[in-house]
Amino acid sequence: MSDETRTDGGAVSAAGSDQPAGLLAEIDAYRVALYLGLLAILAFFLIPIESGLVTSFKTSTGVSGTLPFAPPTPEVFTLAKWQTAFDALARGLVNSALYAVPATVISALLGSFAAYGITQSNWKPKYKAPILALFVAGIFIPYQAVLVPLSQFWSMVPLQEALGFVWALGISSDYTGVVELIVTHVAYGLPICTVLFRSYYKNMSEEMIEAARLDGASIRRVYRRIVLPLSGPMFAVVLIYQFTQIWNDLLFTLVLVQTESSTAAPIVLILAGLGQSLEGQDFALRMAGAFIAALPTLAVYIMFGEEFAEGVAT
Amino acid sequence: MGTLELDRLTKVFQDGEEGEIVAVDNVDIQMDDGEFIVVVGPSGCGKSTTLRMVAGLETVTSGNIRLDGRVVNDEKPQNRDIAMVFQSYALYPHMTVAENMAFGLEESTTLPDDEIEERVHDAAETMGIAELLDRKPSELSGGQQQRVALGRAIVRDPEVFLMDEPLSNLDAKLRSQMRTELQRLQAELDVTTMYVTHDQTEAMTMGDRIAILNDGKLQQVATPLECYHEPANQFVAGFIGDPSMNFFDMERDGDTLVGSRFEYPLSQSTLDDVGETRNVTLGVRPEDVEVGTDESGSHTYSAVVEVVEPMGDENTVYLRFESAPEGETFIATIDGLQQAAVGDRVTVSIPEETIHLFDGRSGEAVHNRRLDMNDEISSPPT
Repeated sequence: MSDETRTDGGAVSAAGSDQPAGLLAEIDAYRVALYLGLLAILAFFLIPIESGLVTSFKTSTGVSGTLPFAPPTPEVFTLAKWQTAFDALARGLVNSALYAVPATVISALLGSFAAYGITQSNWKPKYKAPILALFVAGIFIPYQAVLVPLSQFWSMVPLQEALGFVWALGISSDYTGVVELIVTHVAYGLPICTVLFRSYYKNMSEEMIEAARLDGASIRRVYRRIVLPLSGPMFAVVLIYQFTQIWNDLLFTLVLVQTESSTAAPIVLILAGLGQSLEGQDFALRMAGAFIAALPTLAVYIMFGEEFAEGVAT
Repeated sequence: MGTLELDRLTKVFQDGEEGEIVAVDNVDIQMDDGEFIVVVGPSGCGKSTTLRMVAGLETVTSGNIRLDGRVVNDEKPQNRDIAMVFQSYALYPHMTVAENMAFGLEESTTLPDDEIEERVHDAAETMGIAELLDRKPSELSGGQQQRVALGRAIVRDPEVFLMDEPLSNLDAKLRSQMRTELQRLQAELDVTTMYVTHDQTEAMTMGDRIAILNDGKLQQVATPLECYHEPANQFVAGFIGDPSMNFFDMERDGDTLVGSRFEYPLSQSTLDDVGETRNVTLGVRPEDVEVGTDESGSHTYSAVVEVVEPMGDENTVYLRFESAPEGETFIATIDGLQQAAVGDRVTVSIPEETIHLFDGRSGEAVHNRRLDMNDEISSPPT
């Protein structure tokens, strides 16, 4: 806002000296066009979200009887769809959180360790470079390419038997899939986390690390007391990015958990079938479900927003 | 305790296809306990690399570093009992001043917390930063950060202090203030200090001795005044002193030096020093060039004033021999109250007792100015 007024003020004073009316009119026309354009783009992006939100508050007759983006009238307004969606998705929310949170935290931590190792440790560059190359290559492996090897791999690993003591406690052995998802997402997210942390650690003052080493800190202590406390902004970036990726991922859950009827079904699997029946699609229910499924990622953005901005800026 | 010895210290960097770069070449320096040595040289001369090898931040290619007679080449930095002050201060931004200062003690000793706190407090008192202990580095001015960085070094009570251009980020006034304070502090703590700088004023004023490096090679290690009055070679003569020494390339013809602009007859004792050398470089410090003398002697020439830079206490005058083209000048400093205007014709004399002569090929000094210590201390040449 202040920017806009300042620019306008500058234009007016400049115009005042030579060609008063012409220049002013030209700039105004340009600005009007600019803001109209921006508004149009804003509407283009917001209308689908707005339509989804208003639809989720309508009854089924309301959905068919009103325009998609029109707000619900009192006659067709209902919270029942949100209630139904929440009841159906509640166990999925818990299941998704069970793997998304640990996988995010573990991949961020391991990525930070690895990046510290390939930037600040005093290995020779010729040893660091191939390892970094492997990490970078890891980023570019497409999900689809690993689906078959992934299911083969997990069919060979006797994870379910190994975790027998957990199932003995009365927890459904379907949760083997959740453990598999944690390991898979950590492995798959590690390269990007490492590369993100690496660029951050590269910019960290070398003299500061050297000062800490001269102060008597071992390489592990330097990480613990200097590097880790200063990594906050990059952790925010990585946590948000990884959490969103893992939470929204459908492909791995389809391969590793497979059915929505499983006790351990993540929210994305349940959401896929929500509101679909032989009678047709319940759009209001699907919209309500989509918003519920998106809420955790939104919450993470809001929680780490300030650090995120700082981390992206560096 | 606290003697530091560099014995034929050499550092070679491998540079991909280019091959090898010798950054530090056979440097020998012996530092006594409590001595303040300033290592000075132009940028890229290897002075920082030398310091970093002593700190353990660079590996040693060959030669030895001895701390108290013990070779520490392969010791990790954290085991050397050395504290370093960096140019950028390198404070830990997420810690308060007190935490910054306590960090080294926490990591390198097993002192109890209250003892650490006491030492931090004492060091903070010494540095005059006791009231800043709870602040973060980002809330401090440059000068205050500098004090914290020094405080962080002295709180450890190390065998040796290393300082890598610690004052170069300060403004001029603060720098000269800190210079005095550092000297006082070093004398008080009596800790062996190796101080790296590119600033010859810092070198002259602070060090017990100066080590001058150029191209990785040690040029001279001596007291500041020795370096100034008895430079080992032309590089030292030109590097120490501001404005720097005037040099003229001359050729010896019998008992006279012949240059492109003037001739300079030599007395027998000076000739003995020159020996068989044919190409010599004549050096004379700007303050030894006498301007406006009336007498016409064998060392008196006429010159034109090209530029005058008034400094207040003295004037720096750029002079040109009458036969020389514009821009080919030499420098004289004259008293601030002495008048000189651009375009003036003046007589200039270069007294023989003030000249330095260097071998024209190797640059080694063959003759240095005559020194009368009494004269030097009580009345500077005018």
